[in-house]
Amino acid sequence: MKAEVDPITLEVIKNGLDSIADQMALVLMRTAYSPIVRDSLDYSTAVCDREGRMVAQGLLTALHLGSFPFAMRNLIERWGGRMAPGDIFMFNDPYGSGGMHLPDIYVIKPIFHEGNVEGYATCLVHHTDVGGITPGSIAVHATEIYQEGIRIPLLKLHDAGKANETLMAMLGANVRVPHKVLGDLRAQLASVTRGEQAYLDLLRRYGPAALARYVEALHAHAERVMREELSALPDGVYEFVDHIDGLGETPEPIRFQVRVEIKGDEAFVDWTGTSPQVKAAINAPGPFIYSATYLAFRCLAGRDIPNTEGYMRPISVIVPKGSIINPSLPAAANARGITGFRAFDAVMGALAKAVPDRIPAAGEGGATNFGVGGVHAGEQYVFAETVMGCWGGRPDRDGIDGASNLAANQSNQPIELIEAENPVRVVRYGFVPDSGGPGRFRGGLGIVRQYHFLADEGLMTFRTDRRTHLPYGVNGGRRGSPCINILNPGPRHRLLPVLPMEGYRVAAHEEFCHVMAGAGGNGDPLTRAPDLVREDALDGKITAAYARAIYGVVLTGRERTVDAGQTAKLRHRLRSARSELIALGHLPFFRRALSEMIASPIPVTSVALEPAVRGPGAGKPRPKPAGARSGARRRGSK
Amino acid sequence: MSWQAGVDIGGTFTDIVLVGDDGAVVRRKVLSTPHDYSAAIRDGMIAAMQEHAIAPADIRRFVHGTTVATNAILEGRGAVTALITTRGFRDVLELRRLRVPELYNLSYERPAPLVPRRRRFEVEERIDAKGRVLTKLNVATVKNALQLVRESGARALAISLLHSYANPAHELRVAELARRILGPQIFICCSSSILPEIREYERTSTVVINAYIGPVVHGYVKRLQAVLRDLGIPAPLQIMQSNGGVLGAEAVLEKPAYIVESGPAAGVIGGARIAQRSGNANVVTIDMGGTTAKASMVEDGHVTKTSEYEIGAGINISSHLTKGRGHALKLSVIDVSEIGAGGGSLAVVDRSGVLRVGPQSAGADPGPVCYGRGGTTPTLTDAMVLLGYVNPDGIAGGAVPIDANLAHAAIEREIAKKLRRTVRDAAFGIYVLAATTMTRAVKAVSTYRGRDPRDFGLVAFGGNGALMAAQIADALQIRRIVVPQMPGLFSAFGLLIAQPEQEFTQTLFGRTSGVDSQEVEAAYRGLEARARRALLQDGANPDMIEVRRLADLRYSGQAYELTVAVPEGRRIDPRDLAEAFGVEHQRTYGHRALDEPVDLVSLRLQAVERVKAGREILPTALLAAARSAGKPVSRAVYFGPEHGELPTPVISRADLSGAARSGPLIIEEYDATCLVPPGWSASIDPMANIVLSAE
Repeated sequence: MKAEVDPITLEVIKNGLDSIADQMALVLMRTAYSPIVRDSLDYSTAVCDREGRMVAQGLLTALHLGSFPFAMRNLIERWGGRMAPGDIFMFNDPYGSGGMHLPDIYVIKPIFHEGNVEGYATCLVHHTDVGGITPGSIAVHATEIYQEGIRIPLLKLHDAGKANETLMAMLGANVRVPHKVLGDLRAQLASVTRGEQAYLDLLRRYGPAALARYVEALHAHAERVMREELSALPDGVYEFVDHIDGLGETPEPIRFQVRVEIKGDEAFVDWTGTSPQVKAAINAPGPFIYSATYLAFRCLAGRDIPNTEGYMRPISVIVPKGSIINPSLPAAANARGITGFRAFDAVMGALAKAVPDRIPAAGEGGATNFGVGGVHAGEQYVFAETVMGCWGGRPDRDGIDGASNLAANQSNQPIELIEAENPVRVVRYGFVPDSGGPGRFRGGLGIVRQYHFLADEGLMTFRTDRRTHLPYGVNGGRRGSPCINILNPGPRHRLLPVLPMEGYRVAAHEEFCHVMAGAGGNGDPLTRAPDLVREDALDGKITAAYARAIYGVVLTGRERTVDAGQTAKLRHRLRSARSELIALGHLPFFRRALSEMIASPIPVTSVALEPAVRGPGAGKPRPKPAGARSGARRRGSK
Repeated sequence: MSWQAGVDIGGTFTDIVLVGDDGAVVRRKVLSTPHDYSAAIRDGMIAAMQEHAIAPADIRRFVHGTTVATNAILEGRGAVTALITTRGFRDVLELRRLRVPELYNLSYERPAPLVPRRRRFEVEERIDAKGRVLTKLNVATVKNALQLVRESGARALAISLLHSYANPAHELRVAELARRILGPQIFICCSSSILPEIREYERTSTVVINAYIGPVVHGYVKRLQAVLRDLGIPAPLQIMQSNGGVLGAEAVLEKPAYIVESGPAAGVIGGARIAQRSGNANVVTIDMGGTTAKASMVEDGHVTKTSEYEIGAGINISSHLTKGRGHALKLSVIDVSEIGAGGGSLAVVDRSGVLRVGPQSAGADPGPVCYGRGGTTPTLTDAMVLLGYVNPDGIAGGAVPIDANLAHAAIEREIAKKLRRTVRDAAFGIYVLAATTMTRAVKAVSTYRGRDPRDFGLVAFGGNGALMAAQIADALQIRRIVVPQMPGLFSAFGLLIAQPEQEFTQTLFGRTSGVDSQEVEAAYRGLEARARRALLQDGANPDMIEVRRLADLRYSGQAYELTVAVPEGRRIDPRDLAEAFGVEHQRTYGHRALDEPVDLVSLRLQAVERVKAGREILPTALLAAARSAGKPVSRAVYFGPEHGELPTPVISRADLSGAARSGPLIIEEYDATCLVPPGWSASIDPMANIVLSAE
């Protein structure tokens, strides 16, 4: 038998594998019950080869992608050689089973062909509720995993084709909305079953030996492409520090320190120096940080790399044990999403030093998680959603106003569906003018979403960030605007922290207003094309006063005509008057615009000035970047 | 003798097919005139009528498929449009559903909203999900907004208020004020009139599309009506809708968004009819031209429809996972999965050393390298010339000359050397990859929905469909392929098969267990009355109207409904609805939940006018025209490593009369070529379709 790999057949098989993962994702979405799956699309599907290595992934949540290797390794260690046709495995436990956090339930079906396991169809879904101390199970204030819901170690959901009713009943009894959770679980079963059928078709067509050979070639191809990409980066050590603002009413910054070394065709990523694990639910078990790291490199590669494990091989990652990115039992983890987002931001920040002309400024900082639940009209309800998002200014164009975070490609939920199904109203959803970070290419605008509660009682939780440590700018672009959370906007409003260490009781007709951080800018704002400034002014995305003060562009009349002469003069004057204070000069405009919009005074919040990525001149290895210190906190200007 | 005209406008050509009562056929292909598409129609019709001495007064039916609405959006030539929304929500249109259609792309650019923020205005009002008014419409804010609309210079106005599907009163009131204040020259439409369905972004986007193309479509329809009048053609203008039905011109003026996907729909309708008549009611249609290939599924003779559509998405694979490329249009559209693989698709070896075919296309200019018009990047057509599939002397009867040497040099330089393969292997690789991409499109409409393609036949048309069909069929183990008459003008032909159709829906939300049969019956009757009225307005024969009742259902909590047929004539039993839904769920997704409550979401009524028979084309006329002259020809054709290069007879469709012939064969026609590889046989059926069967 000739063992040649034909490049055409390789491409045909890759196409076939991708189409399986897509198909699984489609089945899951169409049959799922909970909005967080069917609208937010917080789930992933993957096809793995007989060694358990991922060979294709549905086009969904990028931050899930690096997690399958851990899960599969664990499964094969425990059950390798002992699986039977018709077995389906399930787990969610991050400690010992390869899970990420309890809401993410994995379902894995080994695929048998002529008596051998030839592959695996797998999917994971973020479930609406897995029990624990708050509805929706995302309680930042949980201090141990035991408070976070039901822990499912690696178990058989189906044993040789027979459903494990005990496990289903146990699960149903431990969650607030069993109807939705079990419905979504059924959708997962449908998905892996469809994946199995499609994979068997491939096996029948090519035979197990040839398929295995081509899968090997796919891994090798992905690895080769990634090595080429890494070779193209300047060798050197690039360090970056970013932060999560911290927990509760008196937050202490949580540090993300990353050292990226590019050496030939390999990358070494070391997270030593990152903060220790915390007594709150934002600890992110290792697999998640691997995902975030791989993701940054994939984005940088900017080309089509097969979604196979091969491309991860040239990237080594070190996550210190006991840190917030590799916690030990019993650290709580349900709200760990934010930690992955920040890790992603940090790696991107480091890469921006290597290739400042290729990396965007920071986006909004990750999905906001919002949840409210309780009993209304005699029935238990849980409403949970993710809110996003905007992109930072890019080297050649503005960031996007309103787009999913690069790390989590999720949708918003239709307001009309929310209101039809929950005792919640959304009373405002849109952009905040004068928000985001100025730049030659500006950051995306901050987004406001305001809820009006209708239930007699509700317990509200949320997970947000980036009020003190604003989304960074690059190449002289400025920081984005802060995240603001306000209970009952108006004269008697209450400013709530970004990561509250409590749930809030809310009564009927109370309101909660959340404003996401606006994204960072890219390049010097005084070099922004005046026409772009004018377009933004015409669209009411910025005010004329902001155009003048921040961009040095003088607009006149209704048509906001650019006064070229005045603009040149003003820009000249502003250039000579640069200072760090000006770097935050846009924030008072943001506060004014927001307070007008929601008829509520917006207080000055503190801003940490480090780190920001400094423009050209990076690219050379640096012994110790200026951005590595933090804590130089200062009041926002004026 | 009376005639019917089917006129289909494509990017390059305008195709005209006239069919007489006696089955006579007149075909004409003329260059499109993008500055004013009606010009090509006028000239083409005049020429066709003169040539065959057809009196204009004898043209009794005129059905038109057009891309004018789509192009207005793709090219940004729609009207300056304004939008009025509920206070607090003017950015819904721009925020969309947030998702981006591709992961890992730092340079992703989202399509700009059709209405920029500066022309989106808010009014004070609020209705809840049950349709109850929470805040009365504040007329002063409406007048203020309308003043701003006027100052913005808008020619069209879309109105989309929250929960208007449940209670349209506020929207209608705003529209009424708008008509009064802005005057009749502004095109005004309400979301609740175009799409009375839940989900604010999709509804808003749909009504915005409607407004944006409204004035353009209006102008076009009026011009075309004038052309018909000037020519003395008495037939009323009918236009193909995206859902495969035909709509009268007046209805199109009100709801222009209904004709956005007019073009691809006609071919699928034609394919469905072919399928029904050739005794295989389950087929996948493949329509492959120069830039894209489109696949669609026909089941039990019915085309499949979707309302999850995006316009301007470029390629619209039927998978929802790639959403976000275009503007949501949530109207009933024939479910076509479109991919960027056509004769002009470019073949390149990317910097990773991987061969790719499409989605970029050489287009009409410069076209494939072998056309000798300056193209340097090889295309699928170039590969097919080298393989012997396409006549190396020229296509369209020699109208487009071909230089095979240019194709050879390009594939050698750009592909073969880089892959270290022979030129022939490289060419075959291009062909196989294009077929693979198309196979994925076929899967998207079949296996992705739980259908096994092996249970389906293929109907292949378009200039290149019949060249790829056997390769695709092999990959999916499909054993039967039908290539209809006039494959290259099949869409124009499909227009004549399409039936006048009106579809109305009504949201009637609730558990099936609590459904009131009488209420459902009354709702269906109401929908039917509206549909009949609309058809009659378009001049339908009341005796020929048939209605079909459908219902959209889902398990309580799911977001996506499945549509099931509701038998008429007996009392509606909610348990039957739930059962029919369960069966469909099992079929589509492989499982059902016996104890789960089922929600009824919407009732749907389709009314069609059965166009009377007699318009089928007599095959003899075509076959006579298609008979090849002169002595038998053959050429060397390469069929891949398994079969190698084989001497292959080149025949005409008419040569197939009589016994079936085994491959290898090439069947050449004026407008298309059909490839019959070894292992397949070809015959001709009573309707002059070529039928390929796997041996």
